[in-house]
Amino acid sequence: MSNESAHGSHVQHHFVDSDHQFDTAKMGMWVFIVNEILFFGGLFCAYIIYRTWYPGLFQEAALQLDTFWGAVNTIVLIGSSLTVAMAIRSVQKNQIKGLRINLLITIALACVFMVIKGFEYSHKFELGILPGSLYTFEGIEHVQAPVFFSIYYMLTGVHALHVLIGIGLIYWIYRRATKGEFSSEYYTPVEITGLYWHLVDLIWIFLFPLLYLIE
Amino acid sequence: MSTPHHHEHHEHHISTARQLWAVGTALIFLTIVTVILGKYVAIPAPFDIVTAMVIALTKATLVAAFFMNLYWDVKFNAILLVTSVIFFLLMVSVTLLDTLYRNDVVPSF
Repeated sequence: MSNESAHGSHVQHHFVDSDHQFDTAKMGMWVFIVNEILFFGGLFCAYIIYRTWYPGLFQEAALQLDTFWGAVNTIVLIGSSLTVAMAIRSVQKNQIKGLRINLLITIALACVFMVIKGFEYSHKFELGILPGSLYTFEGIEHVQAPVFFSIYYMLTGVHALHVLIGIGLIYWIYRRATKGEFSSEYYTPVEITGLYWHLVDLIWIFLFPLLYLIE
Repeated sequence: MSTPHHHEHHEHHISTARQLWAVGTALIFLTIVTVILGKYVAIPAPFDIVTAMVIALTKATLVAAFFMNLYWDVKFNAILLVTSVIFFLLMVSVTLLDTLYRNDVVPSF
């Protein structure tokens, strides 16, 4: 019975208190982020190996990517990271309306990112720039051109998958916030989803110069 | 029943809106800088890629420190992040020790 009063209703019995539970959940998320970095790391490793083998190919093939829209998407993702940080600030201050508005803006920005990415993909599909053996584009001399675009589609495709999952997660957090499940006392899922979303931004920060800004 | 907590209750850090906007603005500014340097300034290789990666690392550090709150967090989480980067670099270096020193690139690669 004393346990009940010392613990908030959200605290599982195996934690000392709310802080203990919060820190443990957050550390678990950081371990997952380590796993994500190494997962994307394998793809970045493929990128690095092929770029050292075929530097000319990367310069030539990158001309097919539109730097302007890549930069716009970078700024869109940075904006969405900012609104997620603002959402967490809102819930820490117990401003649930601010939390919900910032989450909605984040979802909107994530959708803008996906729409732009969709236009970029469909433009390439029309030209026959498809990954691997599906590649039919003839505008690039280099015989290994499909390799560059296989790496491009794997990196940006897996990243876009993360954006889609992020949209789902943030919507889930939004729904729970609407039901009044979060307050300044308990917002662990908001914090952890926020960390995930920042990771998506973090990966793109490296993808953008590596794919779009090769001179 | 008053059972005092064994460890101090620590307040979670709350960033001010101004701090968050400053970080966001810095990130957008660095994005514009990297585009201008990448597209309009002829930096001789390999310093073009070095510059781009230094800017990207700076942006990543800003996100990790102030959006992901590592700056105010328990240090263990920062150690996890740094360790993952070290192991990524290890993976790349060991692989390059093979691929950079082959006499012939495997033809179909």
